[in-house]
Amino acid sequence: MENKWDLLESSNEDREKIWTKNRTFAGDVWFRFRKKPTAIAGFVIIVLLIAFALAGPLFTSYNYSVQNLEVVNIPPIMKVYESPDEKGYLYITQSIKVVYVEKDGTLGSQLKKVRDVAKENITIYDCNGQEVALYYEQKPYLLADPESKIVYNIKHIWNKSFILGTDSLGRDILTRLMYGTRVSLLVAFVAALVNMVIGIIYGGIAGYLGGIVDSVMMRIVDIISTIPLTLYVILIMVLLGTGLKSIIVALGSVYWVDMARVVRGQTLSLKEQEFVVAAKTIGSSTRTILKQHIIPNAMGSILVTVTMLIPSAIFIEAFLGYLGIGLQPPLASLGTMCNDATENLRSCPFQLFIPALAICIIMFAFNFVGDGLRDALDPKLKK
Amino acid sequence: MSEYNMLEVNNLTKHYKVGAGKQVVHAVDNVSFCLEKGRTLGLVGESGCGKSSCARTIIRIYEPTSGQIILGEQDITTLSQKQLKPIRKKMQMIFQDPYASLNARMTVRDIIAEPLLAHKVVRTKEEANDYVYPMLERVGLTKEHANRYAHEFSGGQRQRVGIARALVLQPDLVICDEPISALDVSIQAQVINLLKDYQEEQGLSYLFIAHDLSMVRYVSDDVGVMYLGNLVEMCESNEIYKNPLHPYTKGLLGGIPIPNPKLARQKITSSIEGDLPSPINPPSGCRFHTRCPYAKSICSEAAPDMKILESGHSVACHLYE
Repeated sequence: MENKWDLLESSNEDREKIWTKNRTFAGDVWFRFRKKPTAIAGFVIIVLLIAFALAGPLFTSYNYSVQNLEVVNIPPIMKVYESPDEKGYLYITQSIKVVYVEKDGTLGSQLKKVRDVAKENITIYDCNGQEVALYYEQKPYLLADPESKIVYNIKHIWNKSFILGTDSLGRDILTRLMYGTRVSLLVAFVAALVNMVIGIIYGGIAGYLGGIVDSVMMRIVDIISTIPLTLYVILIMVLLGTGLKSIIVALGSVYWVDMARVVRGQTLSLKEQEFVVAAKTIGSSTRTILKQHIIPNAMGSILVTVTMLIPSAIFIEAFLGYLGIGLQPPLASLGTMCNDATENLRSCPFQLFIPALAICIIMFAFNFVGDGLRDALDPKLKK
Repeated sequence: MSEYNMLEVNNLTKHYKVGAGKQVVHAVDNVSFCLEKGRTLGLVGESGCGKSSCARTIIRIYEPTSGQIILGEQDITTLSQKQLKPIRKKMQMIFQDPYASLNARMTVRDIIAEPLLAHKVVRTKEEANDYVYPMLERVGLTKEHANRYAHEFSGGQRQRVGIARALVLQPDLVICDEPISALDVSIQAQVINLLKDYQEEQGLSYLFIAHDLSMVRYVSDDVGVMYLGNLVEMCESNEIYKNPLHPYTKGLLGGIPIPNPKLARQKITSSIEGDLPSPINPPSGCRFHTRCPYAKSICSEAAPDMKILESGHSVACHLYE
């Protein structure tokens, strides 16, 4: 362009062109969602948890229900004694047996008892031909050379056989954790789905019709929400028997009230919006208006409510399990694992700590995702 | 002149109950007018004078309290929403706010296809494209815009999408509820010209609601002036600017800025003092008497009737008894 005072060429097409990239709604949400590190972290954790719960059991050689009383209450980090031949370690179990441990941390077989010396409060075991003495007079029990009475070197090593230890019935905690997480996620997703369906339909109808219908429907919601959840669960269990089914039915039949309230509120405000009025003047049916206009626009709040509802459903399931009215043994859920662990909390705190940590991680992850979604779903924040 | 009126409104009244139902807002009171086929009727007035309520009652989003709405040859006042459905095809509306009146979760294609699908003109979205693409081009947009979401557009583009939605069914009557007041001046002309061109092509009628008198002059064949729910003056568009009769109209016209400063100095300034009275307790008699510089004693006692003076100019004022 030589003469800078010349008019720039401009066509109608240029004027009407939209220069931003064409993104679908989902693409747009994802674009904003991934800008938030906590949300992404939560999302990744949820994906990993799902993989852990679904694929995990394929990689473990233990069963969640088979008991092995030889290896009861073994922690993930064991206090071991070096064996006299220095090829492995020895571990004293809580039932005062001695177990041979390989150098890499895998558990071997129990040592054979040679004789009991009741006078000195010792038991002599045979370790690859050499005798070792277990002193059980006072805690902590010790392993020592029966002749020189020198205590073997003490070391702390990772448990390779049971990475997260075993519980009071000798079951692998890692395996039970996988099944427990599976139960938690199942409860979460089923509760979320049921709540979404019932809540959206119920709240949508109440909000859209308004007036006396709304008043009656919302009073029913109020009544449902005032009755304590545990009462429902117990009553439903009387009807359906204990088990996962009852928990899901109980959560599904009660938890939708929050969702219904949110959807109703959104519908009430959205139905006064001009695009809904426009749809009415066009002649769209009520069904179309609800399905195309009101619910998609309320979807942001709905998704946020769901992601906030999931952790509380997980927590309720764990809570019921902890109270002993949830899943029945030998089924594992995070709550029942916590419950089992309280019996020997003082000697094996890891048994409570591990499932409790899992509950925390799940709840954090869902809360973070919910937070991120709330920001991502607000179209007014578009950059 | 056509053989029948496109729209005839007789003594239309719309009252809203507020509070505990004891108070009543007199939004539209006794409004009557005719809109001939192929013509444009402008409805002007201050904010809160009942223009939009009037429009929304005519299109039956609001239920009329009393009165009669005749579209073509059919009385639609008491039809149920179900019976109204075929009528809606003939009567469409363009909204004031191009941001609020388009669903942010829908693509432009879906927005324009919605009336086609609602009235079963087409069965599928693919079939709808045959109507949507020409319509988009008609309003100056392109095929590429069809997959975009409404929030990606500028205000003028959005309003044209709203217009495309209203026109795609080829209605006989389009109610424009302040279609340009949310737009920039440069875009106002673009939108107005589009509406005018389309009217010339299709011969449809507009009920054009605005508070901008200069724009109304440009688009309308006839102009009606509303004050506090009442129609106070109505006549041919040029006539009302040349020869306003009602004191309120004179006041309104006094508010238009005149581009030529020499003319402006010659203009007799007559402005309206005070605020619009509450429509909950409208003044007795002529509703304008509280602010009217020419008010007489009769004005507060009896409401003036709409009288047709010479040259089809009607006015509701005691000054012209």
